[in-house]
Amino acid sequence: MSYDMHRYLTDPFQEIEELGGGLFKLNIGPQHPISGQGRFIVLTDGEIVYDIEVDIGYSHRGIEKILEYKNYIQAVVPLERMVMLDTSNILMGFVRAVEDLYGIEPPPRAKYIRTIINELNRISSHLYALGLFAESAGWNPAVFIWTTVDREPILDILEMITGARWSHSFFIPGGVRADLPRGVKERILDTMDYLERRLEVYEDAWIYNETFRMRTEGVGILPRDKALEWGAAGPSLRASGVKYDTRLNEPYSAYPELDFRIVTHTAGDSYARGWVRFEEIKVSIDLVRQAIENIPEGPVKKALPPRPVKEETLARAETARGEINFYIYTEGRDKPYRVKISPASFRNFFVIEQMPKIQEIKLADVPPLIYSFDPWFLDADR
Amino acid sequence: MIDPILDFIFTNLDPLIRIIIYPGITFIMLFTIFAVWYQRKFLARLMLRMGPVHAGKFAGWLQLIADSLKLLTKEIIFPEHSYKKLFLISAITLPVIPAAAIALVPFAPGYAIFNVRGYTGILFLAIMSLYPIFIVLMGWASNNKFTLIGAFRTIYLDVAGEIPLFLAALGVFVWAGTYDLQDIVAQQATMWFVIPQFLGFLVFFISYFAMIEKAPLDIPEAETELVFGYRTEYTGALFLDTMLGDYINVLAWGLMMITLYFGGYNGPAIFADPVLNGAFWILFKLIILLAITYTVIISYARLRIDQAIRLGWYYLIPLALLNLIITVILKYVVLEGGV
Repeated sequence: MSYDMHRYLTDPFQEIEELGGGLFKLNIGPQHPISGQGRFIVLTDGEIVYDIEVDIGYSHRGIEKILEYKNYIQAVVPLERMVMLDTSNILMGFVRAVEDLYGIEPPPRAKYIRTIINELNRISSHLYALGLFAESAGWNPAVFIWTTVDREPILDILEMITGARWSHSFFIPGGVRADLPRGVKERILDTMDYLERRLEVYEDAWIYNETFRMRTEGVGILPRDKALEWGAAGPSLRASGVKYDTRLNEPYSAYPELDFRIVTHTAGDSYARGWVRFEEIKVSIDLVRQAIENIPEGPVKKALPPRPVKEETLARAETARGEINFYIYTEGRDKPYRVKISPASFRNFFVIEQMPKIQEIKLADVPPLIYSFDPWFLDADR
Repeated sequence: MIDPILDFIFTNLDPLIRIIIYPGITFIMLFTIFAVWYQRKFLARLMLRMGPVHAGKFAGWLQLIADSLKLLTKEIIFPEHSYKKLFLISAITLPVIPAAAIALVPFAPGYAIFNVRGYTGILFLAIMSLYPIFIVLMGWASNNKFTLIGAFRTIYLDVAGEIPLFLAALGVFVWAGTYDLQDIVAQQATMWFVIPQFLGFLVFFISYFAMIEKAPLDIPEAETELVFGYRTEYTGALFLDTMLGDYINVLAWGLMMITLYFGGYNGPAIFADPVLNGAFWILFKLIILLAITYTVIISYARLRIDQAIRLGWYYLIPLALLNLIITVILKYVVLEGGV
C-alpha cells in the first residue's frame, strides 16, 4: 500500500490556489475547540471532505527514551503520563511485561484490586470520552459536564484507595502498593448504584436522542474487513463486529475468574462506537461489583527477584481506547535496554486518516467521526 | 441657546421617550443584559453548574458588565488581507437591524416606537431578512476559511429556515385579515392565534431556531466545527457588537412570535396603565419563551447542514403551505370571512 506520510504537511501555510479545483485545506487544530494537542488537516471544498491527515507529535515527551534510564519501579511514574484519564490500564500492560520478565505472579488479592481499579478507570475514561463525543456531535457542553460530574464519585473512590485522583502510581511490578482501605466496599457499591441510575438518564436524554442518532448513525462506517486490515483498536474494533478484547482473549489479573460479556455491534458507524463504549460502562460496573464481592484475602505485593529471568518480553493489556502492547528488551539488568510501546490511539488515528477513502464524509461529520474513535494525542505521541 | 433644544424635547416628548427609554434603546440594552444573565444561569442549572457567581452581590448579575469592560479594553485586530471597511461596517450594523425591526412591534395599544399602521408585519419580516446578509458580509470580509464556511452555511440555512417562517407568518396574516401588527394583537384579546394557527406555530417555532442560530440549528457558528463561525475573527469591541446583535436578534424574533401567536401585550389587567400592563405581559411571555428556547438548546444535538435543509424543504415548507391552505379554507369557506 503506497501511503504518503506527509501529503500536506510540507508547508503549513499552503494556500487555496495550490490545491486547485476550489479545494482548500482546513487546519483543525492545534488551536481549535475540538482538536486537542494535535492537528487534523482536512482537505475540503466547503462541506465535502476529501482527505484527512492527522498531524501528531505536538505533545511528544519521549516516554520510551525516558524509560531506558529508569528502573522498573521508577518507570511507573513517567509511563502514567501517556493517558492521564486511563493511567492504571496503561500501566497494567507494563506491569504485566515486567512480571513476565522476572517470572513472578502477583498475589491473588492484588489481582482483584488491580481489576477493580482498572475497571473504575475504564468507566471514568469512557464517561469522559462519551461526553466529548456528544459535544463533538454539536451538543452544548451539557452532556460533557454531566459525564464529568458523574466521574467525580469514581475519582473519589480512586483517591480513597490510592491517594490520588489521577496518576495514582498504584500498580508496581509484583502487586499493588497498598491494601484496600476500610469502608471502600460500601462506597464502591453505592457509587455503582448511583452510576446505574445515571446511565438510565443518559439513555433517555442522550444515547437514544433522535438528533444525536441523526448526527452519528451512518457516519464513518468502518467495515469489519477494513477494521482488521487497518488495525482499529478497542471499542472501535468491537463496534465493527470483531469480538476481540484482551481481557477475554489473553486474560490477565482477575478477569479469568470473573463473568463478563464482550460488547460488540455490527453497524461499525460512529454511533455504534459510542454505543459500545456506553454498554462497556455497564459491563465494567458489573465487573467491579463481582470483583469487590469475591475478593480473596492475603498479601497484596511480592518482592521482585534481583535480576530478570528473561531477556525480552511482549505484554498487552486492554486500555479504554484499545489494546496497548509493551515490548521490553533487557540485558539482564534492572533497567530496560529498550521499551517499545504500541498504543491504541496511534492505530485509531491511522484508521481516521483512511476513512474518507471509503465513503463520503462531510465537514460537520469530522468531529463526531474523530471522537467516536476516542483518540488521545498524548497516547499516540507517547 | 438651550431653549430650542428644550422646545424640541417637550414638543416631541412622547416619541423621544419611546425611542430612547421604552421600548427603545434603553429597554433593548437592559433586556439584553438580563437575557445574557438569564441564559447563563438557566443553562448552567441544566448543566449541573453554578453559572456566574462572583461579580455583583446577587447571583453574578454584574458578570456581563465585567465581560463587556474586558472586551472594550481589548485591541481590535483586523485579519491580514481582510476587507477592513466591510469587516468594520457589517459588525457595527448587525445589531441595528433587529433593533430597527423591534420599532414596529406594539408594546401596548397604539404604543410602538415607530407607530405606523398598515403593512408592518411584512415590513418587520423584510427588515429581519437583512440580518443574514450582514452575517454573510462579516464572514466574507474576514478572509478566513472558517468564517467563509460559516457564511455559506448561513445562506443555506436561511433558504431552509426563512421561507417556512415567512409562510407560517402569512398564515397568521390571512387569519387576521391584515398585515398590521397592532390589529393582529388587538384581535387576540379574546383568543390567541396559537390555537387556530397551531400548525403554523410549530413551523414558526422550529424555523425560529434557524433564524436565531441557536442549537439544534446553530449550524453557521457550529463551535466544534467552525470555531465560532462567521465571528471567529472578531475581537474586542467588535466581538461585543456581534454578540449584541445576536441577543437583539433573539429578542426581535421572540417579540414577533409573541405578537403573532401569544397575544402580544394582551393579558389580564394587573396595572391600571395600559403601557405598564403591556410591558408586564410582554416581559412575562418573553421570559417563558426564553426558558423554552434554552431548554430546547440544551436538549438536542446540532443537525448537519444537509439535514437542516431537508428539514426545511421536506417538512417545514409543505407544512407551512398546508397550514396556509387550511387557514384559507377555514376562514373563507367554513367561517365565511368572519372569525
